[in-house]
Amino acid sequence: MIFSLLGGLLIVAGLVFFFGAALGLLRFPDFYSRMHAAGKGDTLSSLLVVIGFALHELHDFSSFTHDWPTILVILKLSAIVVFIFLTSPTSTSALMDAGWEDGVEPVIEPGRPNVLRDDTEAR
Amino acid sequence: MNAKVSATIAVIITGAVLLYGVADFPDFGDPTSPANAGVEGGAPSASLHFINESYKETKVPNLVTSVLADYRGYDTMFETVVIFAAGLAIFVILRNLRSDDPLPEPLPATEDRFIDGDHQRIIVGTTCRIAIPLVQIFALYVVAHGHHSPGGGFQGGVMLGASFILVALGGNLRDALARLGEDTFMRLASLGILIYAAFGLVPQFLGRNFLDYGVLEKIFLTDGPEMARSHSMLGVEVGVALTVMSIMFAIFANLSSRGEMRGGL
Repeated sequence: MIFSLLGGLLIVAGLVFFFGAALGLLRFPDFYSRMHAAGKGDTLSSLLVVIGFALHELHDFSSFTHDWPTILVILKLSAIVVFIFLTSPTSTSALMDAGWEDGVEPVIEPGRPNVLRDDTEAR
Repeated sequence: MNAKVSATIAVIITGAVLLYGVADFPDFGDPTSPANAGVEGGAPSASLHFINESYKETKVPNLVTSVLADYRGYDTMFETVVIFAAGLAIFVILRNLRSDDPLPEPLPATEDRFIDGDHQRIIVGTTCRIAIPLVQIFALYVVAHGHHSPGGGFQGGVMLGASFILVALGGNLRDALARLGEDTFMRLASLGILIYAAFGLVPQFLGRNFLDYGVLEKIFLTDGPEMARSHSMLGVEVGVALTVMSIMFAIFANLSSRGEMRGGL
């Protein structure tokens, strides 16, 4: 019961972050901030949802010998979590870098310095 | 007439012919269609036969695999040939083998180099290094486990090809080609189809139909034709996986380097 509740809570939290990511993707002004919303929101929300599934699987768990298939499902879900945790931020980072190499200009408030540019020139 | 107009006309005619053919199809899920109900006084229902008998006849729990690789093996074999043809077409169109441009030397096998370069290279390179072995192991699992769960040669082959594409994306195309060279993957692509065709021809030599795996029990020394069919399906899947993997990578390598096979991404 407690696992089911906890799992549901995590899934709902993940959906909230998904909503934020989608909203950011639509509303943010330029490529970088949109990627920021999509990358961060997507990673966290997928993780939360999948962990929520894993906890939900535990809800009628009684013993290791009897519920061996449940353990198997949870192990598979954990593998998915680890994989998303590794690959999703990397792909976001690679996309950002590709955009920068390609000369996509960030939108910057008038009067503010372009910190990104200074960074590259200093390198 | 320029090429675009004639291509458009050809596409429209082909599409019209295909749509005309679709009009004769039975409705989706129609219980009285010949595939579902059988032909009156003729062949019994194919679907019912697969659902009721396929496990008894092939000892493969996954219905999809047994239909795909055994009952409709002929169809699947030529699906694989279609993929092979797509790879050859990419090769013919893109590959740049002009005589005034000598063939690049075969690339030396690189040592297991350290990942260096800027931050970006380190991030992507490290992740690829972690991910590639896992992807390949999972691909082999998908190929081998097609009998019991969703999967099989096509899916596993795509994953294997993707792992080599990942080598090229995370490092560079030269490293990937040092691990899976052009002559290697073109040979592997042909080998995959040859494996499939061999599973068809050997039963013919033993006096049965093309791709009639049951008779292979004499070669595999299994107790009964069912297990022979099951094992043959695995062999066929391996052939499909080899072809799909090679062609995936061939398409990527040709496209990303514009047929030069050296620079690339």
